[in-house]
Amino acid sequence: MKILLVEDNERVSQFVVKGLQEAGHTIDHAANGRDGMFLGASEPYDVIIMDRMLPGDIDGLAIVEVLRKAGKRTPILILSALSEVDDRIRGLRSGGDDYLAKPFAFGELLARLDALHRRAQGINQETPLTVGDLHMDPLTRKVTRGDRHIALQPREFKLLEYLMRHAGQVVTRTMLLENVWDYHFDPQTNVVDVHISKLRQKIDAEFDRPLLRTVRNAGYTVIASD
Amino acid sequence: MRSSAVSLATGYVVLGIVALVSFAAPLWYAWHVTIQDGRAEFLQSDAQRLTDIFRHDGAAGVKSNIDARVSMQIPGERILLLTDPSMQPLAGNLPAWPVGLPAVPGTYTLSIGTGDHSNETALMHVATLGNYYLLVGRDNKLFAPLEARFWYGLAAAVGVLLIAGLVGGFMTRRELLSRIHSIRQTVSAIIHGDLKHRLPTDRSGDELNTLSRTINGMLDQIELLVHGVRNVSNSIAHDLRTPLAELRSRLEELALIRPTTEETYAQIDAAVADVDRVIRIFDALLRLAEIDAGMRRSGFVSLDVAEVAAAAVEFYAPAAELKNIDLSFQSDGPVRVPGDPVLLAQALGNLIDNALKYAPEGGTIEVLVRRRAGGAEIAVADNGPGIAEAEKAKVVERFYRGDSSRGTPGSGLGLSLAQAVAKLHGSTLELTDRNPGLCVLLALPPEAVPMAAAPAPAAQAAPSAQTAAAPS
Repeated sequence: MKILLVEDNERVSQFVVKGLQEAGHTIDHAANGRDGMFLGASEPYDVIIMDRMLPGDIDGLAIVEVLRKAGKRTPILILSALSEVDDRIRGLRSGGDDYLAKPFAFGELLARLDALHRRAQGINQETPLTVGDLHMDPLTRKVTRGDRHIALQPREFKLLEYLMRHAGQVVTRTMLLENVWDYHFDPQTNVVDVHISKLRQKIDAEFDRPLLRTVRNAGYTVIASD
Repeated sequence: MRSSAVSLATGYVVLGIVALVSFAAPLWYAWHVTIQDGRAEFLQSDAQRLTDIFRHDGAAGVKSNIDARVSMQIPGERILLLTDPSMQPLAGNLPAWPVGLPAVPGTYTLSIGTGDHSNETALMHVATLGNYYLLVGRDNKLFAPLEARFWYGLAAAVGVLLIAGLVGGFMTRRELLSRIHSIRQTVSAIIHGDLKHRLPTDRSGDELNTLSRTINGMLDQIELLVHGVRNVSNSIAHDLRTPLAELRSRLEELALIRPTTEETYAQIDAAVADVDRVIRIFDALLRLAEIDAGMRRSGFVSLDVAEVAAAAVEFYAPAAELKNIDLSFQSDGPVRVPGDPVLLAQALGNLIDNALKYAPEGGTIEVLVRRRAGGAEIAVADNGPGIAEAEKAKVVERFYRGDSSRGTPGSGLGLSLAQAVAKLHGSTLELTDRNPGLCVLLALPPEAVPMAAAPAPAAQAAPSAQTAAAPS
């Protein structure tokens, strides 16, 4: 992925740039709003990471709005030290595609960038999903593994669908909370893990090769083993 | 020192004088003109009569008429004089033609200055009878006292006004100063840190008293808030200190011992987990502050409480299953109230999460949604150990954790958040005993009016929360 990072904090930039490069991405860094706007408008990026508070009291949201008005469709992830719900909503309304509050775990950032990139490539919501020998038909809501039918509760279906749509990518607990349950808060206990282990019981327990894996310190991924 | 009472009194006195003068001046003018005109007319008709006599009987007839009239008159009231063409008096009660009075027909006012008419003014009418000059006049003696009385009256009224204004102003000032002084003393005591002081008030309903009572209400609220903030900062200090201390010792140990690579990684992971704990507490606090500020009412929509509750129960069901707890849900069907679905889900989640922590292995948790008073009521009941009566008020306080909960995970903010959400929706959490167990009731009124943090008039709280600006 070619990524633009607009962020003035040196420490955070260094950390993000290094991490993303290690993950195999090409990354440009703009330390102020002007450079960020210029690069964002002129270069073709897969994803833009936009900090909200930039030097000279520039709000990253203003840049996002300008880019959107200029017709740029690049997915934008807004990074902010403001975590209040209203700020989140404002960030998304101004044209951002996702919102991540500082401080964040790098795994969370990476997972969200992947998800944004995947979403931008445009997936047909009705295309049957396949990971290894696991099949899901979003239209008939039928799930099979090998030749065995798997019965899922509606929420389990939604959980598995989200995981399969992001097959091969890491999906964090927060992403699952937001996208499967539409919960934008920290439920304090590891309820997501319990849901995952229930789902794992149904899709993996009786098979030799597990598809749903835990990624340490990050989240989960559904991937076909080779 | 400039005093508002004195300048107010001065203002009123000046205003009173202006009003008095603007009333008296036209009155005096009209009175004066009318009298003067009437007298002039009278003199003219008198002169006309004498002219008629002159026409019939000549100067001798006029002279005898004047002589007759002078002999009958009280001297001084009417002035009569007939002179020959050389201005020598022929008849009348004046010894000579008055100095300065022109021998031209007309009406004049002038001082007579001779005889018993000295220092007095008179209105005089001059007429010519052939070559003779006639003067008829009336002195102003009768009218001067009237006029003087008018002026005295006016002066007295102004004087009374001045004295009343000055004395009143002075007394008001003294009263105001003494009351303001006591207010100032109280306020400076408060400025110096003692929030216990209150302004003196009595039962009267005057403005200063009403103001003092309002300010006292404000002080009550401030004291409550300061007390709350003090408590919160103490609790924050305590609750953040623990993970920070652990983090610090972990890092210090790493630097000192330099363990194997694998052990180092494990320690770093643990350190990150410590930091995450701190962040979670911060997030919870920020969320609480946000709810308390009432800003989240922008997120209010018409929602089905049963649906939100069912989703929360479904979300926590696997966790309950894991602990072998029977988590059940019951509702009266859809119940729509205005509310914030995100916050309500979080509050409910916290209540269920709490119940999950305290319900025993194999216990039960019931979540009930009922219609009540046009709104809704959510009950989360468990059969755990419950909460002692003395602790009930404390558990909704920030960071408070029952002794039994030490060692269980959680920020200690779960119930306070549920309480804040309840307040935002216009109610409070109600904790009741089930013997054994705890039942937490969260009522959602049909018209959500957020409860103020302290006993403040609800009528004031409602509109202010509605217009509360979102953060920029």
